[in-house]
This record gives sequence, C-alpha cells and structure tokens, in this order.
Amino acid sequence: MSELAHTNHTEKKDFLVRSSSLKDVRSFCREVFEKLHIDQSLKDELVLAIAEAAQNIVKHAYKDSPDTEDKMVVQISCKENKLQIGFYDMGTPVDPGKVKHREIDNVKPGGLGTFFIQQIMDAVEFKDGKKPWINHLVLTKQL
Amino acid sequence: MSYKVTEEGNVATVHLDGEIDMDVTEKAKEVIFPHIDAGKEVHLNLSNVQYMDSSGISVLIESHQKALEKNTKVIIKEVSKSVLKVIMMAKLEQILNLE
Repeated sequence: MSELAHTNHTEKKDFLVRSSSLKDVRSFCREVFEKLHIDQSLKDELVLAIAEAAQNIVKHAYKDSPDTEDKMVVQISCKENKLQIGFYDMGTPVDPGKVKHREIDNVKPGGLGTFFIQQIMDAVEFKDGKKPWINHLVLTKQL
Repeated sequence: MSYKVTEEGNVATVHLDGEIDMDVTEKAKEVIFPHIDAGKEVHLNLSNVQYMDSSGISVLIESHQKALEKNTKVIIKEVSKSVLKVIMMAKLEQILNLE
C-alpha cells in the first residue's frame, strides 16, 4: 500500500441497474484501487465484495424490474486507512433482517454472494436511504 | 465470455475464457449442461478465467450436481489462482473435482 492509501480519496459513479453493468462496476473499482495502490490480492477480494453487493441490487432490489432505467451509485471513499464503499439504489426496500447467506455446508447453487461480502469486509451496514434513494448499503474495510 | 468445446470419445472439454458473472451464467450453462445431459464426462478448463463471482460458483455447483445425477462427472482443470481463491472461500475445494 502506498502513501496515497493514507490520504483522503473519494470517487463515485452511477451504473444502470443491469447485470451487464457488473463488469463496468468492476472496472471502476479496479481503477480506483489502482490509484490507491492497494495490493493485488486485497484488490481482488474487494472487487468481488463490491460486485456481489451490486449484483444483489440487480438480483433482489430490482427482481421485478429487469428492464429498469434506474441507476445505482457506487461510492468508494478512503479516509485514514479506512475504506468505505457506499451503494445507493431506488429499488424495493431491503429488510436487513432478511439478508442472510445460506449455510455454507449445505452445498447448493446460490446464496453465496452475501457470504463472500461478509467474509471479505469488516462491516456491512444498511442505512436509511435519503431521498431519492431507497436503499443505502455501506461496506467497510480497515486497510 | 467466450468458449471453445472439443470432444474426444466420452469426454467433452469446455474452455471458458473471460470473466464469469451473473451476466454470462445462462450462457455458461447452455454451453456446459448439454454435454452433462448427454452423459459425457466434462473437463472444464478455467485457465483463461481470471474472475468468477458467486453466480459462476453456482454454475460449478450445479454442473457438479447435475453430473452426479447423470452418473458422470465434471472435472475442473487449470484453475487460476484468483478463481481458486473464490472456490476456497466457498469451501468447495473438497466438493468439486479440481485438477
């Protein structure tokens, strides 16, 4: 990690809520983490966690609106070695109590995205979405 | 994602190339599943897959389970370091056939 990771840095970008946007979400994250000189191994993990969270928006918050023109925003902030990633969307409100991964020993397709996010990040927190946003998810990682 | 399939006897080798995410999982299933349904042993070469998310992992699990039902198997070959890390995070390295 370089000195840059110790300085304050914030970038955000919006993306159409579509599965085809996920590669663009990953590219955006990689570019930001490149600037922050985060090492490759951690960068891969963070990109996975962020892409899984964005995927959850497409898959769950917009389950009934696959052709939406809505956008989601991903904001990456690094302050004093603490990385904070915010997600904003206008989809169906998420009930944080219902967000859980499947039992990891019960091998079946699906239910792993949230598990990966929880494995990689230090904290996963749903905050009240301020208008126009409905959902506001914040992932945190100490660098 | 792009792919190439070669067949020799009862073995179909599927080379996937690119990033495997939710956007391409249906395509991946369309490529892999018919060979399993035909009772072939499927060798899934992932040497050119540098990124796989939970949707891609689901395709691996579904392929593995489908193969068991058909009394055949899916062998995952030449997994890149980054994809292996995701497989291990999902604690699947002892479940899937990795070579």
